[in-house]
Amino acid sequence: MAEDILRLEDIWKIYEFGQTSLAVLKGISFSVDKGSFVAIMGPSGSGKSTLLHMIGALDTPTKGKVYIAGKDISRYSEDELAGIRGKNIGFVFQQFNLFPNLTAQENVILPMVFQKSPEKERVKRARELLFSLGLEDRIHHRPAELSGGEKQRIAIARALANDPEIIVADEPTGNLDSETGKKIMEVLRTLNKEEGKTLILVTHDPNIAKLAEKTIHIKDGKIQ
Amino acid sequence: MIKEFLKIAAKSLRTRPMRSWLTMIGVVIGVFLIISLMSLSEGIKGAMMSQLRMMGKDLIMVFPGEINDFATTFGGGLELSEDDIKAVKKAEGVESIVPMNYKAETVRHQGKVKTVLINGVSLEDGLDVLENDFGWNLEQGRWPSLGKKEAVVGNAVPSEIFSGMKPGDEINVNGKKFRVSGILKSVGNKQDDSTITVDLDMFKDITGERKGAKMLIAKAEAGYDTERVVENIKGELFETRKRVRGQDSPSFSVLSSEKVTGIVDNILGIIQIAIIGFASIAIIVGGIGIMNTMYTSVHERIKEIGIMKAVGAKNKAITTIFLIESGFFGLFGGLGGIILGLVAAKGAELAIRATGSMYLKASITPQLVIFGLIFSFLVGCIAGYLPSRSAAKMSPVEALRYE
Ligand SMILES: Nc1ncnc2c1ncn2[C@@H]1O[C@H](COP(=O)(O)OP(=O)(O)OP(=O)(O)O)[C@@H](O)[C@H]1O
Ligand SMILES: [Mg+2]
Repeated sequence: MAEDILRLEDIWKIYEFGQTSLAVLKGISFSVDKGSFVAIMGPSGSGKSTLLHMIGALDTPTKGKVYIAGKDISRYSEDELAGIRGKNIGFVFQQFNLFPNLTAQENVILPMVFQKSPEKERVKRARELLFSLGLEDRIHHRPAELSGGEKQRIAIARALANDPEIIVADEPTGNLDSETGKKIMEVLRTLNKEEGKTLILVTHDPNIAKLAEKTIHIKDGKIQ
Repeated sequence: MIKEFLKIAAKSLRTRPMRSWLTMIGVVIGVFLIISLMSLSEGIKGAMMSQLRMMGKDLIMVFPGEINDFATTFGGGLELSEDDIKAVKKAEGVESIVPMNYKAETVRHQGKVKTVLINGVSLEDGLDVLENDFGWNLEQGRWPSLGKKEAVVGNAVPSEIFSGMKPGDEINVNGKKFRVSGILKSVGNKQDDSTITVDLDMFKDITGERKGAKMLIAKAEAGYDTERVVENIKGELFETRKRVRGQDSPSFSVLSSEKVTGIVDNILGIIQIAIIGFASIAIIVGGIGIMNTMYTSVHERIKEIGIMKAVGAKNKAITTIFLIESGFFGLFGGLGGIILGLVAAKGAELAIRATGSMYLKASITPQLVIFGLIFSFLVGCIAGYLPSRSAAKMSPVEALRYE
C-alpha cells in the first residue's frame, strides 16, 4: 500500500457574518498517495479553491484535521504553517502571482530567501530551474515583459525552489490559450511522473482530469 | 536574508520615486534644523565660554541694575556712582578695582571720520586684569603712558576701520588729539577688536562724563573666598545707597566670574534645549508622514504580502521588509538633513564672518552627526512599526484574494 502524503478528515470551513454563517466545505475527507496526481473538479463557487487552501496550509479548517506528511497541521500557528508552505508545498496559481518588480530569477529565489538557504545555492538553483523550464533567455526579465506561458513556467520554477513534495495548482492553465496550457500541463506531468512530485490540481478541463489517477468532484462543499 | 530584504525594499522605493522623496522631506527638514542650529549654537557657546574661562576665578563684576534686566543694564541708562565705586573699594577682601566705561564717539584719522566705541579703563589698576584675564595683548607698540593722551586700538581698527593705522599716528577723538601707542592682538571677536581704549581719566576728559562708571571689576584678595567677597561688596553697596540716596531696594548686580560663566552657560543651554525641542517636533511630523506613506504602501502591496506568505514568509520576515523600508526613509531623510545642515552651518559661519560681528566657528561634532542619523533612523522605524505589523497580520488567503 502506498504511503499517504496528505489526508483530510471531515474538513469543514464555515464563514461567519454576524448573525448568518456560510458553510463552504461540509465534511470533506480523502487521502492522496505520495507521488500521485489528483484532480479536483466542480462548478464555480463549489469550494475548490477553499479546499486547496487547506491542502496547501494557506488556511486552516473550522473543523476537521489536515495531515501533511503524517502531521496534523489544522491547529498549527501562523509561523508553523508558513514553515510547511515554504518547505513542503509549492503553489501554482491561475493568475501567476509573480512579483511585478522582481526579475524571473529573483522571483524564483524568493522562497529560498525565506528558508534562509545560502546565497550561492539560491542563485544556482534558480538558474537550474529556469534553464530546465526553457527560460534561459528570460532570467533577467520582469513579469510584464513575458507571455502568459512564460510567466506560468516561472511560477512553476518558483514552486519547485525549495524542492517540496507536493505541488498544489489552482487552475494553472485557466489564463492560458489551449496550446500554451497543454505545454504547462506537460511540465507539471513530467514533474509528477519523473520527479515523483505529488500533484494536486483544480481544473475545469475534463481532458486534464483524465490524466489524473484520481478525480475528486465537489459540489456545494461536498464530495460527490 | 537581510540583503535580499534590502533589495526588495529598495525596489519598492524606486517604483514610487516622487512619493519616496516627498516622504523624506519631513525628516530632512527636522534633521536639517537640528544640525544647523545646534552646530551654530555650539559654536557661539564655545566662543563665549572660552573667552569667559580666561578670566581668573578671583574676579568680581559689578553692574548697575538687576542682572535679569539686561535691557537697562546694557542699554546704557544706569551707571555706578562715585559713591558706589568707593563702597566697592572698601569692601572686605577687595584687593583692587577697575572701573570701566564705554561710549561711542566720532574719531578722525588722516581725514577719515568714523564712529568708534571708546573704552575707558583705569590702566593703573586694570592693566593687569586686561592682560591676564581678558587676554588683551599688544601686537605692536606699547600701552599708553599714564597722564598722556595716548590710546591703544583693537586689531580690527587698522585693518578695517582706519586702514593703514600704525603706532605713532595721530587721531582726533571728539575734538581731542590722541596718539596711537599700540595695536592689540585680536581677542577673538570683532566687536571688541573694533574699539579704542584709553585711560579712564582721558575717557572722562573726552566725554565730559566726570564721574562714575558703566561697570567695574573687582579683584578678590588672595586667601579670600570669592563668593564671600561678593557678599561683602553687596553689603557695602546696600549700605551706601541707603545712606546716600535713601533707596532700600538695591539696584545693582554683583557677580563672580564663575557665576557669570554659569549664567551664560545656562542661557545658552536653554536655547539649545528649545532648538532640540522644536526640531524634534519637525522630525516627529516627518515620522507621521512616513507612517502615512507606509500604510499606503502596505495597502498597495496586499497581493505581494499574500504571495510572500504563500511561498513561506513568516510574519517576522514581512515585518522586517516593511521596517527596512520605513527605516530607509528615516535614515536617508536624516542623511539629507545632515548634509543640508552642515552646508547651512558652514554658510552661516562664513556669512557671519564676512559681516564681521563675530569670529564664529560652526561646531560640527561627530556626536551631533551620529545623533542625527540614529534619531532619524529610529523615527523611521517607529513610524513603520504599526504599518508593518498590520502587513504581517494579514491572512494569506485574504491577501491573495485581494484585487
Ligand atoms: N473569505 C471568505 N468569506 C466569505 N465567503 C468566502 C470567502 N472565501 C470564499 N468564500 C465563498 O466560498 C465559496 C467557494 O469559493 P471558492 O473560491 O472556493 O470557489 P471555487 O470552487 O474555487 O470557484 P471557482 O471555480 O470560481 O474558482 C464562494 O461562494 C465564496 O464566495
Ligand atoms: Mg477557485
